[in-house]
Order: sequence, then C-alpha cells, then structure tokens
Amino acid sequence: MSPFARFLSTAREALYGRHIPRLKSTGDTAITQIEAPERVRLAIAGQVAVVEVGETVEAGDLVARTPEAVRFQRRVHASLSGTVTALSQEEVVIEGEVPDRPPITHSEPDWISPESITDTAREAGLIGMGGAMFPAYVKLSRVAPIDVVLVNGCESEPYLTCDQRVLEEQRGEVDCGTVLAMHAVEAERGLIIDRETYYPGGYERLLIRDVLGRVVPARGLPRDVGTLVINVQSALALHDAVCLGRPLIDRVITVDGGAVGRPGNYRVPIGTEVGHVLDACRVDVSKSAAILTGGPMMGRLAERLTPVTAGTGGVLALTAAELSRSRTQPCIRCGHCMEACPFDLPAAYLAETPHKAVLGCVECGACQFNCPARIPLVERLQRAKAVVTAWD
Amino acid sequence: MTTAGPFIHSGQTNRKIMVMVLVSLSPSLVAALVRYGAGAGLVILSALAGAWLAELLLDREQAFDCTALVTGAIFALLLPPTAPWWLGLLGGAVAIGLGKHAFGGLGRNLFNPAALSRVLLMGVLPVYFFSTTWTIGGLTRASPLAKESGAIGPTITELLAGNTPGALGQAAPHAVLVGGLLLVLLRAIDWRIPLTYLAAVAFLALVLPASARIEGHAPWLLGNPLLHLVGGGSLVVAFFMLTDPVTAPFSPSGRIVFAIVAALYTMLVRFYTPYPDGAALAVLLANATVPLIDRATLARASGDAPLGATVLSTDSAAP
Ligand code: SF4
Ligand code: SF4
Repeated sequence: MSPFARFLSTAREALYGRHIPRLKSTGDTAITQIEAPERVRLAIAGQVAVVEVGETVEAGDLVARTPEAVRFQRRVHASLSGTVTALSQEEVVIEGEVPDRPPITHSEPDWISPESITDTAREAGLIGMGGAMFPAYVKLSRVAPIDVVLVNGCESEPYLTCDQRVLEEQRGEVDCGTVLAMHAVEAERGLIIDRETYYPGGYERLLIRDVLGRVVPARGLPRDVGTLVINVQSALALHDAVCLGRPLIDRVITVDGGAVGRPGNYRVPIGTEVGHVLDACRVDVSKSAAILTGGPMMGRLAERLTPVTAGTGGVLALTAAELSRSRTQPCIRCGHCMEACPFDLPAAYLAETPHKAVLGCVECGACQFNCPARIPLVERLQRAKAVVTAWD
Repeated sequence: MTTAGPFIHSGQTNRKIMVMVLVSLSPSLVAALVRYGAGAGLVILSALAGAWLAELLLDREQAFDCTALVTGAIFALLLPPTAPWWLGLLGGAVAIGLGKHAFGGLGRNLFNPAALSRVLLMGVLPVYFFSTTWTIGGLTRASPLAKESGAIGPTITELLAGNTPGALGQAAPHAVLVGGLLLVLLRAIDWRIPLTYLAAVAFLALVLPASARIEGHAPWLLGNPLLHLVGGGSLVVAFFMLTDPVTAPFSPSGRIVFAIVAALYTMLVRFYTPYPDGAALAVLLANATVPLIDRATLARASGDAPLGATVLSTDSAAP
C-alpha cells in the first residue's frame, strides 16, 4: 500500500468507518494442549469409511476418503489412538487417547517436487482452516499462474487469537509451510500478513485489495489475479504434512467469552465435542447465554455435541451482556449499515429490495453490528441473495 | 434467536441516538430560556407535551423512545418566544400526528415532522409567527432577515450574541453550534449535511445577484454570509433538521446533493421573495427530493459493488 493510499484509508476510517471492536483478550495466552477428550466425532459426509466399528486405530490412520471419481478429494484421519465405537454415513466416533505431537525435527527436504507437495496435501486431508473447509490441494495445484502467496494471519474476527498465537509460537513452521506453498504453485513471493486489521479486513478479497492493491474480478477467484491466500494454520498443517508426515488431526482454537473460566488458546483434536471444550475450560453454564463455534460475527450457534472441525477458529461462551440484545425497531435510514459495509453496500435497501448487488455481500455482519434499530440484516440479506441467485 | 451471526452488537439503539439528539438540543433550549425567560419555557414545555402526548396516543411503545421529544424540542426552536402555549401544544401534536404517524410511523415519514408542522401552522396562523419586530434600545428592529423598509440591519455583535428578534433557535447561535458539534462528535449525525449546507449558504450569499427588493429594503442582506449563517433558521436547520436520518438521503453522496438543494432553496427565498426566511420550507423541499436522490445514488453505489464473492468458497474465506 502506498503511503498516500494508506493516508486515504486512515482518513476514510476516521471520518466514516464504523468499527467492530477487537475484543481480543487471549492474545498473550500461550497455546496449551486441551485436556484429553474421551471421544471425537469426525464428520465424513460424502466420504466412504475405511474402518469398522470395533477396529483399533492409531492417531493419523485414514478413516474415510472420497471415492476416486469425486472431483474434490477429501481424507479424514483418526485424531485419537483408540477404538472406533460408532459409524454412520455422517460421522465416525473414536474413543481413545490423544497422541503426542511428534518432536519438531524440522528437516526441510532438500528438494521436493511441486507435484509431491500437492499430493501430500491431498493425502493428508488438508483443508482450508480459515473457515471455508475447501480441500487445500486444489488451490495448491498449478491451474493458473500464481506469483504471490499470502498467508492470512489477520484474524479479524473479534475474540479470536489462535492464528496470532500460532504465528508467535510456531513461526518457523509457518515460514516453512509458506515456502512449501510457494514452491507448490511456483510463486516468486510469499507474504505472511500478521498485522492487525479492521473487521472484516481478513476477508480474502479485502486482504488482496489492501495488501497488493489487486482487485479480484466479479465472480472471480484470487488466482485470477495471480494470488493464493492460505490461512496461517493451513500453512502450519502443510508443514506438518510434508516435513513430519502428519495428517490434519488437530488445530489451535481460541476459547473465550464472559462465561469462560479458563479462556485461552488450546490445541484440540479435530472432532472434539464442544461440550468437552466447555468443561475443560470451566465454562459457567449459568452465565452463558450463547455457545458459538467460530467468531462472534460469522460463527454459528453450537450444541454440546457439535464437533470442532478443521475450520473452527474458536469456541465462545458469551454472556447476555456481551450479546447486547434489544428488540427490533423500525429502520430509521441512518445509513450506519452502509458506512460499516466493507463493500459500501446499502444493506437496508438490499435486505428489502432484491438487487443483484446483494451478491457482493459476504455476510460479514458489520452492518448488523452497527444497526441501531437492531434489524437482523444478515438473515434478510441471505434471503435476498437466495432470491437473486434464483434469477440466473 | 437467530442462528446466523453477528452475535455481538455495538450497543447502539434508536433510543440512544434520540437521547443524544435531545442532549445536544438542550444547550439551545437552555439559551432560549435564559434569554426569554418564562415565555420561552412555556413554549418549550407545551411543544414537548404536545408531541409526546400525540405519540402516546398513536404509538404507546414508541413514546418512550424519545423520538417525539426530539420532534417537540425542534418544533419549539422554530417558534417565537411570544407564541401562545396552545400553539406549542398544537404544533407538537401536528408534527407527530400528521408529520409522522400519518405516513406510517417512525422511519416512514417523507417530511421532517417539525418543519411540516411549522409550515402547515404558519399557513393558517401567520400572525403568531411573523410578529417579530421588537424594540431594542428605542429603535424598532425587524428580525435579521426581514425585508421591511425602516428597519435597521443587525450588527455582527448582535448577530453572534443572538441579540436579534426571531425564533427560540436564534437566541444563541453558539449554543446551537455546540449542540451540533456534539452530535457530529458522537457520530449521531452525518457531518456532511451541516458542512455542505452551511458552506453552500455562505457561498450563495456571496454570489447570488441582488434583487430590487433587497437593495431597496434590506441592503444588509447583501455580501453578508455571516448574517445568513447565524440569522434565521440556518443553524438549527443544518444541525438538527436536515440531519434527521429518516428524512435525509441514505447514501453519503446523496446527502451532499440534498444539503445543496436545501441551501439553494433557502437562499432563493431570502433573496427573491418577501418572506423573511425559507429555511423550514427548504427542509420540506429537500425532503421531497430524497426518493429521487436515493434512487440515483444507490443505483450507482450498487453498480460499483463487487459481485460474485460467493461463487466458490476457498480457503480463509472467513475473516
Ligand atoms: S438498517 Fe439499521 S443501520 Fe441501516 S439504515 Fe436502517 S436503522 Fe440504520
Ligand atoms: S451488507 Fe453484507 S458485506 Fe456489507 S456489511 Fe452487511 S453483511 Fe457485510
């Protein structure tokens, strides 16, 4: 970003941006391994299980995979060492023990072909850990010329600090993962973005615009402007897969919120139930008014049985005060929603009148956060999007 | 409870915004009280009561959200201190009843309720609005924008001290300004509207060609931007009336166009008609252009928006 562009954006923010507070309080809490869960539930929808009930598995063993003919390949590996106790079309339940994280030998291979990085990513079941959960190997293949790899460490969702902690504690591995990603797509440059940004500045399109000044075309992808964006923990997972031969079986999440007794950053096996996370972090159920997976802006309501997935950045137990609910009022046309929108969309209008511009909405919720009339804008925008999409 | 986020909120409510406006109006109300005493107090109380009672009658729930009090207070600022109590009561009720609820209630009214009420009542009861010649220091003085032969123009000191006949809102320009700046700092109003409106008024005061009426009766209206900024209703209009979000355009660029329209109309009335001030009428006229302005500016804004962000979800799609 040129100094002038930076000045303009600062002035713009000062005069009419509407900011989402960072609310991050766990940024200094080192990552610790969460108390071992008794069991994990691994989601395998669309895949075929390769284990049976009663079978003994080691952590890292393949438990399900997509059939060869499927376009986007997925793999799921056991995240505990133990026994398969239940199996359905949707999930595999494993009871057992948490494996030790292998010591970091950190032997960067002397030479490795781009293809083998892509293959390893596919076999290790790497998926986008920023929330989209799309198979990582697809982006790591050379389908379009890529010159820059951006490692997204912005983590602009309030509360969440897990990516920041990973960057602080495991920078060497993230660097290595970045180099591997660059090598896989034969990019000349790699940038690890670890600066604080506005919400939702970590959103892929905005990151590319703010960092590189490139505009991803309408209905396009980052690769259309020669860019690959991966999340910090995806880079770490790529390192683990290539250098340690370790498939994707755990991730770091932030556990926070007013009802949490022991907030912090925890490494949890994929598939750990939210209920276990709550107990392990001493959540006061009587104080908590909502349990979420993900951040408070784009996260979802969770149940005790909801599993932590590779895309789950956090588990939050928010108090009523944090939720700050109030009854919905008539729209007073104040325009705060438009001021808050990173794409300058007039949410109040788009929520009422279907217009194709609503397709540019990323459902970040910045508008609704700032709406004094407490209108559920995101819900209405989602509905409007469905209407407009049906036009095509 | 909805399952989609966001689950946190800025904490802002319609009611809090209205309270901020009310707090920002209070310096002007207090200044009027100090200057005109009990007469002004009666006007203010009756206008507040009229608006609030009408709201209570028409929408019990809204009555505690302070919007009616804001409307009543603004209406009071538009009345002369000599106004009878029943005019305040009537005006406040008309503002809420006809200005707001007749259009469908909060958020649906096209016109600024206080301006609408004032213009409606001025049409049938002009005598209570226009009898604003005073005797100060033995000389008969007209309101600063009046075009009457024999009157003397106000001096700059008089203007700035609010020492001129007029509505309550003119009693102390600095009080209005303080309240207005407070609103801007609290970000309860869009700074573009007062800035554009006042700049345009000053600019037009300098460049509009003089008319025979002005040259004959009120030459002090010429080449005197300060008079047009602080005399008449300009400040109240700029900070408290045009900025009412419900009746202003939605987009930032639209609001600039809107403020220019209002300034142009204000100055045309002041320069080329026998009426002393067109500010309240200018608010209504500008309000009427809002649907048009919105359509034009929002179509543009939407055309600029990037499309297709949802087509294929990829890694780190979530911020
Ligand atoms: S939807 Fe909410 S934020 Fe947008 S204009 Fe209406 S009241 Fe204001
Ligand atoms: S309109 Fe969509 S993109 Fe804009 S702030 Fe609202 S949710 Fe975010």
